[in-house]
Amino acid sequence: MEVVDIRPILAPVLSLVCAGLIFLTGRQTFWRRTWSLLAAVLKLGVIMSMLPGTLNGTIYVFKLMDFTPGIGLGFRVDALGMFFAIISSTLWLLTTIYAIGYMEPEQSKVRFFGFFALCVSTTVGIAFAENLLTLFLFYESLTIVTYPLVIHEETPAAFKAGKKYLAYTLIGGAFILLGTVLTYHTAGTLTLSKPGILTLANGTQTLTLLFVTLIAGFGVKAAIMPLHGWLPTAMAAPTPVSALLHAVAVVKAGAFGILRVIYNVFGVELLRQMNLTVWLAWLAAFTILTASFIALFQDNFKRRLAYSTVSQLSYIILGAALLTPMAAMAAIVHIANQAFAKITMFFVAGAIQRKTGKTSIREFAGIGYQMPYTMGAFTVAALSFVGVPLFAGFITKWYLSLGALEAGAWWFVVVMIASALLNAAYFLPIVYLAYFKAPPGTRFHVDEAPLTLLIPTVICALYVIVLGTTAEVPWMPLSLARTAVQFFFGL
Amino acid sequence: MVSWPHWLVTIIIVPLVGAVLTPIVGRGRPKVIPVWSLGIMTATSLAALMLIIRVAQEGPFSYFVGGWARPYGIELHFDEFSASVGIICLIGWLALLFSYHYVAETIPVRRVPYFYTLVLLNLAGMIGFVVTGDLFNLFVFLEILSLSAYALVAVSGERVAEMAAFKYLVMGAISSIIVLFSVGLLYSVTGSLNMADISSRLAGVEQRLPVMLALAGLAMSFMVKAAIFPLHIWLPDAHSIAPSPVSAILSGLVVKVGVFGLLRVYQIFYGAGTYDLTGLNTALVWLGAISIVMGAFFAIFQEDIKMMLAYSTISNVGYIMMGLGLASQYGLIGATVHIFNHALIKGTLFLAVGAIIHKTGYRTLTDLRGVGKAMPLTSLAVSIGAISIVGIPPTAGFLCKWYIALGAFQAEKPAFGIALIFGALFIFVYYIRMVNSFYFQKPTHPEILEVGEAPLSMLIPILVLATLCLVMGILGRIPISFIEPAVIRMLGPFGG
Repeated sequence: MEVVDIRPILAPVLSLVCAGLIFLTGRQTFWRRTWSLLAAVLKLGVIMSMLPGTLNGTIYVFKLMDFTPGIGLGFRVDALGMFFAIISSTLWLLTTIYAIGYMEPEQSKVRFFGFFALCVSTTVGIAFAENLLTLFLFYESLTIVTYPLVIHEETPAAFKAGKKYLAYTLIGGAFILLGTVLTYHTAGTLTLSKPGILTLANGTQTLTLLFVTLIAGFGVKAAIMPLHGWLPTAMAAPTPVSALLHAVAVVKAGAFGILRVIYNVFGVELLRQMNLTVWLAWLAAFTILTASFIALFQDNFKRRLAYSTVSQLSYIILGAALLTPMAAMAAIVHIANQAFAKITMFFVAGAIQRKTGKTSIREFAGIGYQMPYTMGAFTVAALSFVGVPLFAGFITKWYLSLGALEAGAWWFVVVMIASALLNAAYFLPIVYLAYFKAPPGTRFHVDEAPLTLLIPTVICALYVIVLGTTAEVPWMPLSLARTAVQFFFGL
Repeated sequence: MVSWPHWLVTIIIVPLVGAVLTPIVGRGRPKVIPVWSLGIMTATSLAALMLIIRVAQEGPFSYFVGGWARPYGIELHFDEFSASVGIICLIGWLALLFSYHYVAETIPVRRVPYFYTLVLLNLAGMIGFVVTGDLFNLFVFLEILSLSAYALVAVSGERVAEMAAFKYLVMGAISSIIVLFSVGLLYSVTGSLNMADISSRLAGVEQRLPVMLALAGLAMSFMVKAAIFPLHIWLPDAHSIAPSPVSAILSGLVVKVGVFGLLRVYQIFYGAGTYDLTGLNTALVWLGAISIVMGAFFAIFQEDIKMMLAYSTISNVGYIMMGLGLASQYGLIGATVHIFNHALIKGTLFLAVGAIIHKTGYRTLTDLRGVGKAMPLTSLAVSIGAISIVGIPPTAGFLCKWYIALGAFQAEKPAFGIALIFGALFIFVYYIRMVNSFYFQKPTHPEILEVGEAPLSMLIPILVLATLCLVMGILGRIPISFIEPAVIRMLGPFGG
C-alpha cells in the first residue's frame, strides 16, 4: 500500500539544511556542533518514525516534480531503502560525535562538517530514490561532495588520492549514466518500485550489455576487483572520513546500487533465466579471497582495513548474485553487519592514531594495556569478521552459506570458510600483539582516548554483538531484510 | 497585451535604434549610458516575454513588415526556436549590468559609449537573426552581429586584442561571404528569399547541384561561426581576450548563431522533404564527437582560465552539433535545450572568472590559488558552473547529456552516446584543476586573500546565473516540453 508522505524527502532535506547552516554559521564551534548533532538526531527520528509502517508493508512515497518529462524526481521508502537509510543515519550520528572529538586539532572544520552533512543527505537520497535517474543524481552528487573530504589534509598524497578517487568514481558514474540511458531506451521506464522492469523480449544481447554496464558502474564504488584501486589510496583522508567512506556512504552506495540493479531493474526471475550472474558470483568470490590475501601483507593498519573492506563488500555482491532468498537475506543484512564492525575498526584506528600516533601494526605491541576498551571493541569487530557465532558477521556467513547450498553451489561455502580463516589470519594477530606481546616491563596503565572517541567506538562494538545475538527479534534489521526479500522473490 | 501584433518588429527596432542613439544620449553625460542601455534591454526583454508567451499559447506566427505578404515582403517569423530571444535578452541584460563597473575601469573613457553601442548592436543582430523569416535578412543580421563582435573583441585596444580580432574577422568574413553566395544560389534556383517559400519550392527543383552546393556552403560557414573542430581556430583567442562581459556574450550566445543557422537550414531542407541529408548528419555527429574530445583535450593544457573556458565552448558546441546531426527527436531536443543551458552556464563561468580577474589582476591557475577564500560567492558560482558544464545532475548541463545520449540510442548510433558520456569526463579533468586551485591549494600570492568580493553590479549577474544553472537543471521539463512540439514538427516524417 502506497502512502504519500513528506517524510521521505524530509530526511535528505534535513541534512541539506544542516549543511547550509554549518556553512553560514559554522565558524563558531558551538553552532557547528549544535547543527551537526541536531540534524543527525532529527533525521534518525524521522527515518525511525517510518519504520513501523515499512515493516507493515506501507510504502511511503513522495514525488517532488518531473525532472524531465516522464521521469520524476521521486522518493519512495521500501524495505531495502529503509534498511540502508537506517544504517547510514545511525552511523552518521555516531560518526558525528566521533568527528567532533577527532577533528578538534584539524584545519578547515567548517568545510569538513558542511560536506560531511551533505554526504549523508545524498546517501539517504540514494536509499529513497524512486527511480534509477534519481538514484544516479544522488550517486553522482555523493562523488562530488565526498571529494573535499578526501583531500581534506591538502597534502600531495591527499590530492593524489582525490584525483584517483574522482577518476574511478566518475568513470563508474559514466557507465551508470550509459546504463540508465540504455535502460530507459529499452524499458521505457526507470522505476525501482517493481521486482524487475526488463523482460526477455528486450533481447539477450542488449540485456547482457546493460547488465555489464550497470554492474561495472556501481562496481567501482562497491570496490569489486579490479575496480577497487581507489579505496586503499583514499586512506589519505582523516579517519572519520575513511569510516564514512568505507562503512557507510560511498562503498555501500555502490553495493546498494548493485542490489537495486539485480532486484529492481532486472529482477530475480529474468536473471535466473539468462544465467547472467554466474560470472559476477565468481568475481565476488575472487575479490573476497584476493583482497584478503593482500590484506595479510599490509603493515599499515588503515590499509589492512581497506583491503578487508574490499573483501567484505563482495559478500554483499556474492549474496546478491546467487539469486536465492537466503543469499539475498545475507546480502542485505551484511550491509549492516559489515558497516557496524568496520566502522568500529576505523574508530579504533583513529583513536590509536590520535592517542599514540601509531599507524603501523608492528607498533601495536602492548597497546591493549594502554587502551583496553578500544582494543576490546576491536576484538569484538575482529571476531565478527571471522564469523564467530554470537557476533554479527556470523549471521551473514550462515545465510550466505545456506543460500549457496540453496543455489546448489557448495563451492561458495568453501570460499566462505577460506575467507573466515583469512580474516582470522589478518585480524587476530593484531589482537594477539596488543594483549600478549607487550614489551617487557609494560605495566597495566589505562590511558584511553577521549570520551568523544571512545563512546561511539564502544557503542558500535556493542551493537555488533546485539546484531549477532538478537537477529530474530522483531524490529531488528533482519526483519526489514526479510520484508525486502519477500518482495523481490514474490514470496 | 500579448496579442499586440507589433511586438515582433519592436524587438528588433528597439535595440537597433537604442544602439545608434547611445553615443548621442551619452554625450557629455557618461553616467547615463549604462542606465540607458539597461533600459533599452529591459524594453526588449518585455517584448521577448510577450512573444514567448504568445508562441507558447498559439504556436508559431508571422509578421509581415509593412503588410507585404510573402514572398515579396519581409517576413518575421516567430516559432519555438525563436524563443532563444529570451536567453539573448537575459544574458545581454546581465552582461550589461556586469559591465557597469567593469567597463569604467578597463576601457578608455572615450570608447565607453561605443562599447555599449556595439553590445546593443550585437544583441539586436542576434535577435534579428533568430526571428527573421527571410534568408537575405538572415545574412544581414549575421553581418550586424559579426561585425560588432569583431569590434568588441578589439575594444580594449591592446595589441593582442587586435590580433585576435583580426583572426576572427578573417575567418568570419570568409564564412559570411559564403553564406551570401549560397543564399544567392538558392535564390537563383527557387526565385525566392523567404525561407518557408524556398522550403516549399525546393521540392520541385530539378537542378540538384546548385542546391547541394548552397547546402554545403551554408553548412560550412555556419560551422565556422559555431567554431566546430577544425574550424575553431579563431575562437580561443577571441573569447579569452575580449572583455569578460563580452566573452560571456560571445561564448554563450554568438557561437550559437552558427548552430541556429544550421537549425534553420535543416528546417528548410526537412520541410522540402525530398533531400537526403544523411551525409550532412554524419559529418555533424562525427565533427561533434571530435570537437567534444579535442576541445577538452586542448583545455587540459591551458593555464589561463579564460582560455580554458574558451576551449570548453568548443566541446559544448560539439554536444549541440552531435544532437543536431543525430536527427532523432531526443537528440534534437537535447541540442536545442543545450543552446539555452550552455548560455546560462558559460555566462556564469565567464562573468565569475571575469570578476575574479578584475579583482585580483591574475588570470592563470597558479596565480589564482586561494581565491576561493577571498571571493567565496564568486568562487561558489564558478564551482556550480563547473559542475553544470561537466553535466553532473541535477544541474542544467545534465539534461543535454541525458537527451543527446538517449537520442543516440534512438538514432541507433549508440557509439556516439558513449563518446558523449565519456568525453564529458575529459572536461572534468580541467575543471577539477580549477576548483583545486581556487579552494584547496596554498596561495602563490598571499595578498590574494585580502581581495574582497566584486561590487554588487558584478556579483548579482553572477549569482543570478549560477542559481539558474541549478534551477534549470531541476526544472528541466519546462524548456523541454516547450521545445518538443517544434522538434516534432520539424523532423516530421524523418524523425524517429
